Amino acid sequence: MIEKNFEGVSVRWVIALKGEAEEIIKNYAMKRVATTPFPVYKNKDFDMWLILSGIGQLNAVAATTYLHVKSDASYNTIWINFGIGGSRNFKVGELIQIDKITSSDFQDNYYPSPSAFKNNNIERCNLITVNNPEKIFENDGVYDMEGYGFFSFAKKIAPYELVSVLKIISDIPGTDLSKIDKHRVEILVSKQIQFIEKVLENLLALQKMLFLQLRDPKYFDEICLQNKFTFSQKVTLRKYLTQWQARFPLRNPLDEIRQKMTASQILKKFSDNLLR
Amino acid sequence: MVDTIYVEDEIIGTKKAQEIISKFRHAKVTNIKRFGEVFNPSNQNFRIQKTNPALILAKKQKGFVLDAPKGFGIGDQNNYYFSHMYNCLYDCSYCFLQGMYNSANYLVFVNFHDYQNEIEKTIKRHKEKKMTFFTGYDCDSLAMEPITNFINDFIPFFSRYKKALFEIRTKSINNTVFRKHDPLTNCIVAYSLMPEPLAQILDKKAPSVSARIKNIKYLANKGWRIGLRFDPLIYCNNWKDQYAELFANIFKEIKEENIHSVSFGSLRFPKSFFNKLLQYYPNSEELSFLRSNDKGIISYDQSIENEMNEYCRSELMKYSDARKFFSCG
Repeated sequence: MIEKNFEGVSVRWVIALKGEAEEIIKNYAMKRVATTPFPVYKNKDFDMWLILSGIGQLNAVAATTYLHVKSDASYNTIWINFGIGGSRNFKVGELIQIDKITSSDFQDNYYPSPSAFKNNNIERCNLITVNNPEKIFENDGVYDMEGYGFFSFAKKIAPYELVSVLKIISDIPGTDLSKIDKHRVEILVSKQIQFIEKVLENLLALQKMLFLQLRDPKYFDEICLQNKFTFSQKVTLRKYLTQWQARFPLRNPLDEIRQKMTASQILKKFSDNLLR
Repeated sequence: MVDTIYVEDEIIGTKKAQEIISKFRHAKVTNIKRFGEVFNPSNQNFRIQKTNPALILAKKQKGFVLDAPKGFGIGDQNNYYFSHMYNCLYDCSYCFLQGMYNSANYLVFVNFHDYQNEIEKTIKRHKEKKMTFFTGYDCDSLAMEPITNFINDFIPFFSRYKKALFEIRTKSINNTVFRKHDPLTNCIVAYSLMPEPLAQILDKKAPSVSARIKNIKYLANKGWRIGLRFDPLIYCNNWKDQYAELFANIFKEIKEENIHSVSFGSLRFPKSFFNKLLQYYPNSEELSFLRSNDKGIISYDQSIENEMNEYCRSELMKYSDARKFFSCG
């Protein structure tokens, strides 16, 4: 369950096709809010968005970038690439959380954080992102067409620990790809929805930890509004207020500030108090 | 304990790597090219990773033996340190590793022989000089001993070089390896200690201070030489009473002649490390006393630092010879 009252919740799904996204859209009650250049969906009660990227790495990167800007996603946002994939070593219908991401085109590999796998008992495996639908499956692992592109961008806009790639196996060697239609994919996803929720719950717990680390100390905004602080003064103020909260939890730092005090005088006042 | 192991392709076939992997039967093993792929990316969060650290097995390529910082030592002319592992099993709130690394994963360099070759060369290069080799600064070697067998490999090695001191810095009470070997006159088992009430708050996942003292007593009685490390000294409201009680408790149990050296130094960080720590522990009262000094180091106010060092020194002199005292600052 998503803790709707927790102000730090922020989730973005990047999914190639409607068939793959349908169950997620339904499950999290999202409504369409845009159609071009990419269809975008959004939940009205909390900060969860979904974008249909279309097939391929370029589309995945473009859609992730677009959604990042369109939804004004903060740094502390969960990014999930979800979709179907092929494999020679898993059964059709299995849900896989990706722990290593490779590409047929690039040398660098990516490794989603093990923190994201904790306590969910979902099968883990490497992902091989290719440019055309795979039929031969030369290696063990999951083959897809978006994961690498998605991750290479998402890791730059969010903490590593909050970026995840999830795949459901839709085809294995010998599968007739023309028979994987929207309806069949929706059934595959619906059977795994409770486990997808579990993955998200774990990520939300990590996000909460991060939110508590990243938020500004109490009274920071109020003090910045009252006086003109330079960037470096704001850094110092943030540090002093954090220390203040720990040292004098019952003393309101606003009481220390008298009218007409400059930013430097305010910082000195806090510094002097903290030295005692 | 560990459910994910990353292993560099280059060392996956080595005996040491296989030995370690075999200890985690249920862990998922993933091949990597170089440890930096997993350990170095920015945008990782140390505290989150600490909830489920992975183990990385790698080969150290260079920089096996490094000079210890100036002024650091326990009496010898030349001081070196070496790190076969980065990050620690324990989770101490003031640990500088949280500020230093992007990742909380345990990184173990399995090519112990390369370290030994380099140490051997260093010893031969400075034959006439007394020297100390420190370990356990980027990890707690003893705490990870059941996994790495590091000390078990290095005690026989240092037994060949009696002029070189080998210091193992630890909070672990695992004494199996010291029971397996005869005491080595040039090995110092150096315990990090702080008052129990502070340790209960700050030394998370580490053995209690009373358990550490009990283990020190056991090792000392077996003939191992002991180092006492009060580093960092932590400032708090009743720090004088707390440290006086700690020293009394230690020397009630341990004979002074078993102590090789005592060192102390107050809490300090490079600025960038401190900023990360403050982000991780916004409610830490202990961090709230620290200030930036003119050298870009975050430490207590000089007057606090002097007072702590002088007080601890005079208290310790009640129990031990001041010639054994060294500063960590």
